[in-house]
Amino acid sequence: MPLVPVPKPTFSQKLKRFFMVDLLKGMAVTLGFNVGALTDKDGVAGKGIYTEQYPKVRPDVAPRFHGAPRLNMDPETHETLCIACNLCALACPEDCIDVIPMDVEVVVAGKARRKKVLDEFIFDTSRCMFCALCQEACPTYCLELTQDFELATYSRAGFVWNREMLEQGRETVKYES
Amino acid sequence: MFAFAAPTFIDSLLLKFFSEQTVNYVIWPFIQIGLVVVITTGWVAYATYLERKISAFMQARLGPMRVGPWGLLQPIADGLKLLTKEDFIPENADRWIFFVAPYIAVVAAFIVMAVVPFGPDWAVITDVNIGVLFVLAVSSVGVLALILAGWSSNSKYALLGALRSSAQMVSYEVSMGLAIIGALMFARTLSLSGIVSAQASNSIWFVFYQPIGLVIFLISGIAENNRAPFDLPEAESELVAGFHTEYSGFRWSLFFMAEYAAMVVVTAVATTLYLGGWYFPLVYRFTEAKGFHHAYVVISLIVFLAKAGLLLYLYFWLRWTLPRFRYDQLMDLGWKWLLPAALINIVVTAIGITVIQGLHNPAGLRTIKSLSAGLGLTLTGTVIAIAIGVANLFITGGLLSLINWRARDFNLKKQRRQIRLVDLPKGKPAVVPVSPESAT
Repeated sequence: MPLVPVPKPTFSQKLKRFFMVDLLKGMAVTLGFNVGALTDKDGVAGKGIYTEQYPKVRPDVAPRFHGAPRLNMDPETHETLCIACNLCALACPEDCIDVIPMDVEVVVAGKARRKKVLDEFIFDTSRCMFCALCQEACPTYCLELTQDFELATYSRAGFVWNREMLEQGRETVKYES
Repeated sequence: MFAFAAPTFIDSLLLKFFSEQTVNYVIWPFIQIGLVVVITTGWVAYATYLERKISAFMQARLGPMRVGPWGLLQPIADGLKLLTKEDFIPENADRWIFFVAPYIAVVAAFIVMAVVPFGPDWAVITDVNIGVLFVLAVSSVGVLALILAGWSSNSKYALLGALRSSAQMVSYEVSMGLAIIGALMFARTLSLSGIVSAQASNSIWFVFYQPIGLVIFLISGIAENNRAPFDLPEAESELVAGFHTEYSGFRWSLFFMAEYAAMVVVTAVATTLYLGGWYFPLVYRFTEAKGFHHAYVVISLIVFLAKAGLLLYLYFWLRWTLPRFRYDQLMDLGWKWLLPAALINIVVTAIGITVIQGLHNPAGLRTIKSLSAGLGLTLTGTVIAIAIGVANLFITGGLLSLINWRARDFNLKKQRRQIRLVDLPKGKPAVVPVSPESAT
């Protein structure tokens, strides 16, 4: 493209420059946001405030979000739903689940039988990638990845969750809003 | 001069312990000074809070929210933090000057508050009859503090920042001082209380007579306070923090206070000179005329604070809207635009006042009511003065563009004589069409 002289401003452009229309436009933008922040609380829809007051107001995570694991219990008897079938450990691509079963003697229909029940469940959240394949594999809907996202700890050992932690959940500080 | 009709119950209480002279000339001034220092410090502290909040709102954020409800105690927490921080002194700093500089800055900014008329009666500490000169003289001492701070820090960033800010403040003070003169011609006095009463007795704000004066005064005020868009001395991206780079802890907070106090001073003086100070229409009629003297003073005080607050908001608003100037643009604006504009304003206003005075007798018109408090104009005179003020906007604009006809430094587009035009059809997306041959 050739070099051409800078085009002369038209009369309306000169008028705009004289009355500083562009400056006023810019100031209208900031004023609009300021007024919007004071009146319009919904930041996603309009010019309101986007900030989430995190520890006080918990963010809404997406419905398909996968977070901290949990071992569900029977709501009535409070016994674990886990049948120690080891399917979750087999499904895990990261190999971060260890199901440790134990044998118990039970009497079924008058006969003495041996049965595998859950003794200990080790879930290494530091290696977990939250793919939820274990949740898919679980036949009794026992293992579930919840929507809790506060998984940070002070040591590597803290990432390894045992059965008690998986059943009770970890204690985190809760702030009132 | 110190005609106090202060709250009577405290007055009578004090008169039991001291003589009348002591009460009037010592005790009351000290009470007023204490109140003004406390209020100004609070105002300065909460100006920082407001600045953070407003900047947050303009960026769709919340700002400080944790300390107290809506973060209202944040300035106090900040102050406590700064008090307990280490007061660090650089190795080869000029220790004495380094120590003294922040105090000069704070004193220069705060002492101006002594002459600012916050309200009509007991809300004035002193009414110096050269108040405007006092304000200009004392507030320019602040430059000395910046130079001393920058020099004594023994740091290149601080020195560069101090150089920049002193050059900037000195050059903008010229147009600031000249911009005031137009308003002074209408007020016919240098006393700040006198200027307010000149506006109050004529029921008009000088901004109507002097629109261009207010604009020049505000721009120079913002530039003199080294605030954005003129914050080159503290340009973070180039100079770390400017002249107070090496300061920490309480000394740094003194500079911070001085900056905000200087802002408050400029807003207060602009309010007094152009926006009528504590005068607001109808307030007098509904309070003082009906005998509520203290209500009159308090309402006037609130009016004054509200006007100054509006101007303070303008500061924040401009800061978060406009980007920083280049240094040559800054000097251009000061010397090539604001200074001629201020001079033109003086000339046009002087001619205008002469015309108004000339129209008074021979034409049979009555333009001047009285000269007891300011230039008391009749309705005709007021209309003429306002018309001259509005015409002055266009006269100044035209003359400025004449003066800067050949000045291309301020405008980058004009510096470039030729540009490479990209010839694209209108209404189409700006993507160069790719022919199938060249794509392969």
